[in-house]
Amino acid sequence: MPYQEKQSIVNIFSGLLISSIFAWIIYQRQANGLIDLTTDYRQWGIIYLIFIGVSIIARIIIYIIFHILNAIATREMDIPVTDERDKLIRLKATRNSYNAFFIGFAPLFLLLAVGMPVFWIFIGFAASGLIAEIVENVSQIYYYRKGV
Amino acid sequence: MVKSQIQNNIRVLRFNNTEMTQQQLADAVGVSRQTIVAIEKGNYSPSLELAFRIAHTFKTPLEDVFTYNSNPDE
Repeated sequence: MPYQEKQSIVNIFSGLLISSIFAWIIYQRQANGLIDLTTDYRQWGIIYLIFIGVSIIARIIIYIIFHILNAIATREMDIPVTDERDKLIRLKATRNSYNAFFIGFAPLFLLLAVGMPVFWIFIGFAASGLIAEIVENVSQIYYYRKGV
Repeated sequence: MVKSQIQNNIRVLRFNNTEMTQQQLADAVGVSRQTIVAIEKGNYSPSLELAFRIAHTFKTPLEDVFTYNSNPDE
């Protein structure tokens, strides 16, 4: 399996892992009454900022581990060069990702218009972001295997 | 995925050029081996610049490397 495909699989699982753990921690804090995300929107801002920071650090650690394990398994230390095909695949995958995010996020405004509580927008934002990331990486794997 | 209408003779040209490997060709033109594999299989149509670089590597005109098939059913 090419390096890029392995990297996409790692991206999917790391995204799911980080988001799941973070969501579980936030849910526990909400359930224990430490925060009230249904009315205190300031908390959402803090949560998203922390999530961005935690996500970046966790991904750096995961990529380092992935690269070390890949180097041990394949005996190839160098990361493959990014050429025009890689860029085209990333471009198409990013387009699919934006479409997925829009399809996930846009209906939330409709639901907001019919009286849905505002905090669902924040949950929908995170869920759409995660789905968009999965779509992007699955698209990359698809284009690498089937051609572009 | 629709196959490209651009066909190529890269495999034959590699064989005729001291049995050049895909990796050697990839290094010569500055792309990954996977990209050369995809071009040979017809899963990827290279940019004009890359096509010229491949032709230049084989010291042959572009039309000897790539041909356009207007009827993909042939």
